[in-house]
Amino acid sequence: MQRIVIVGGGFSGINVANKISMKTKRKDVSIILIEPREDNVYEPFYLYWSFRKDPLKKFHIPIRKVLRKRVQHIPALATKIDTKNKSVDLSNGETIRYDYLIIATGARMAEEKVGAYEKDNVHHFYLTKATTELQEALKNFNGGTIVISPSTVPYKCPPAPMEFAFMVDRYLRKRKIRDKSTIKFLYPLLRPYPERRVAAKIQELYDKRGIEFVEFFNFERVDKENNKIVSLEGDEIDYDLLVLIPPHEGHKVIIEAGLGDREGFVPTDRFTLKVKDQDNIYAIGDCTNLPVSKSGAVSHFSAPTVAKNLLLEMEGKEPTEKYDGFTICFVVTSPRRSLLLFFSYAYPPKKFGLHNLFIYGLVKKAFKIAYFKAILRGYL
Amino acid sequence: MFMTKYDIAIEIDARGSFCPGPMMELIKAIRQSEVGEFLSLLSEDEGTRNDVPAWINKAKHELVEIIYEDGYDRYIVKKLH
Ligand SMILES: Cc1cc2nc3c(=O)[nH]c(=O)nc-3n(C[C@H](O)[C@H](O)[C@H](O)COP(=O)(O)OP(=O)(O)OC[C@H]3O[C@@H](n4cnc5c(N)ncnc54)[C@H](O)[C@@H]3O)c2cc1C
Repeated sequence: MQRIVIVGGGFSGINVANKISMKTKRKDVSIILIEPREDNVYEPFYLYWSFRKDPLKKFHIPIRKVLRKRVQHIPALATKIDTKNKSVDLSNGETIRYDYLIIATGARMAEEKVGAYEKDNVHHFYLTKATTELQEALKNFNGGTIVISPSTVPYKCPPAPMEFAFMVDRYLRKRKIRDKSTIKFLYPLLRPYPERRVAAKIQELYDKRGIEFVEFFNFERVDKENNKIVSLEGDEIDYDLLVLIPPHEGHKVIIEAGLGDREGFVPTDRFTLKVKDQDNIYAIGDCTNLPVSKSGAVSHFSAPTVAKNLLLEMEGKEPTEKYDGFTICFVVTSPRRSLLLFFSYAYPPKKFGLHNLFIYGLVKKAFKIAYFKAILRGYL
Repeated sequence: MFMTKYDIAIEIDARGSFCPGPMMELIKAIRQSEVGEFLSLLSEDEGTRNDVPAWINKAKHELVEIIYEDGYDRYIVKKLH
């Protein structure tokens, strides 16, 4: 009997655990998922939830409801990964041995590195608690300058901050305080999106809605006493409300095991998804250093490769299955409209539906149903 | 490491990565390097030809030279502040 241990049960961990359980027999393989949380969160919903207080259960689901019965969920934190002895220490005192390990710990939101989120006018929408605080701040906002900016690159869902600008525009219009407000979107590049044609479309929509785009703004620090955000390039921008995407990095357990790069992300072969210079270890999702976006879509399209290669190795064969970097992305431009883009390692974003189609905007929100019912469970 | 007349402190091989990959890698390296050091960025991405010189200009560093190699470009950058 072989044992596969998966560390981290967010979207990637649950999805890959379910996929492997569908392709193996109980008598041959045991699958253990280590994840301290009891719930899974549909993170894209934070974008909408910032503006309206739906109950948590609208986008949280108990892990036991989406994890196949065969997978054993241990509700604990992995505190040490010992690659020599092929074991994982847990916060509950147990040590689990593995034959194969899958790392799926995601990215850590390093809020402490900003040193300003304790202020009542500096927020983000990447964690549940932070988003509830942002909801309050938006509710109490009665005009002034809202500044939106990433802090580090890479961060989850590259278009999210730019989408947030569209959503905030609509929200302020609804509250009839748009004319008393300025919205500024700061971005590290020369244009509001890496791909030129998409960027041009977004710029056109920003111009239409009076959203100011600030180019080449690579976040350096928040001057919280003076309500200014300062860039590496030396620019300073005043804000009344700052929405700053928190710095992303790898988790402590990865760094301490010597499995992380400078930022704590796991160096992973972009095709086989095997961890570089390691036997029997794979990585999936936001924890990796893959040159693609940190997104659920990437985990979704790469999970079959991890599962297939692992099964090949268990049969004593070479892991020859390759992930080609394919992924898709919806860029929401209003609650009902969005652009749909395709990417892979071989080509930069290919636009599709760049007409800002009505239906696509609904897809991102409604996708939650497919996410909980089919994708997370490994059926799609 | 590429042999040049410059004493390269950090070489960033961003070949095989598309915009914004090469530029973000360069920015990371600029953050890590010391004032006066030379960096070398390797990129085969078309977009880099426009974006990297524009960023260097905006951030007030120096684009010392672009060397057109076989199938890729090598940008030599000096950190000025
Ligand atoms: C606002 C927002 C909008 C988004 N929109 C989209 C979108 O439209 N489309 C899209 O595809 N993606 C989107 N994403 C990104 C997507 O949600 C993530 O990429 C996805 O959830 C990544 O899954 P993951 O399992 O790799 O990481 P995570 O979801 O972060 O899960 C990692 C898990 O590992 C656990 N863990 C960490 N350390 C340990 C440890 N030591 N021991 C045990 N467990 C540990 C954590 O508790 C966590 O549950 C969005 C994200 C945000 C924040």
